[in-house]
Amino acid sequence: MLFPSQRRRIKLSRFSLFNPASPLLGTTIAQQKRQELVLSHWMTFNAEEAHNIVKECIEGILGKVDYNHNKVNQWTATIVEQSLTHLVKLGKTYKYIVTCAVMQKCGAGLHTASSCFWDTTTDGTCTVRWENRTMNCIVNVFAIAVVL
Amino acid sequence: MGEPLDRRGPENTYSLRPAFQHKFRSSAVKECIHAILKENLANVQYNPEETPELTRSLSETIKDRLKAEGFHRYKMVVQVVIGEQRGEGVNMAARCFWDADTDNYAQDVFMNDSLFCVVAAFGCFYY
Repeated sequence: MLFPSQRRRIKLSRFSLFNPASPLLGTTIAQQKRQELVLSHWMTFNAEEAHNIVKECIEGILGKVDYNHNKVNQWTATIVEQSLTHLVKLGKTYKYIVTCAVMQKCGAGLHTASSCFWDTTTDGTCTVRWENRTMNCIVNVFAIAVVL
Repeated sequence: MGEPLDRRGPENTYSLRPAFQHKFRSSAVKECIHAILKENLANVQYNPEETPELTRSLSETIKDRLKAEGFHRYKMVVQVVIGEQRGEGVNMAARCFWDADTDNYAQDVFMNDSLFCVVAAFGCFYY
């Protein structure tokens, strides 16, 4: 059973759907929706988006090279730098922490774990694993919301 | 009438800087991490079955310890990496986009003859 207020709301929205030209009702609801969408876009961390960004950075830098002790320092620095730059360009209200580990492949094990003390509704993390013939690379992104 | 309401909730306090005694100081955090690593890893040998659990529990322990240190209004991220020592090359880097006045990090490395462990702890102030 619907409460009177709910019934009214449904009617309103249907009305606005069928009458897109309706100046008052149509715009208020559409505006609300749009505003919510915009807010949720700026204030949520999209792990998939971040994953793609980071993966592209790694592939661009490590894609065609073999492990080289003298270069690896520069590579990791470039990976975190580029990933961070692209993340910041998304323009979200977040602070970012990006870490990257590159390890030469020789049959040795590597384990990583992270624990976070934060607001799970807004903050998020994303991990990218990548490997080629000679090395393993793990990049972690932590995104921490700035409350406005 | 009861006691006055404590208004420090999760909502915004509008304080832009932490008090000095509550600030996330690298040196204090590093000491914490170092003590925990020494305690937990001193005589541990690398074992592929047990290390994943060890890594996880270590990060939990460090996070809980940092929570107990009383860094008010800090969000914390603790990352632990444990690897086997076989003479392979490893390189780690981190870069952050944050408020350098309030936010900070600490890191510590522990090594014995069969494993190495790198811990990085980040603290972000949330105003």
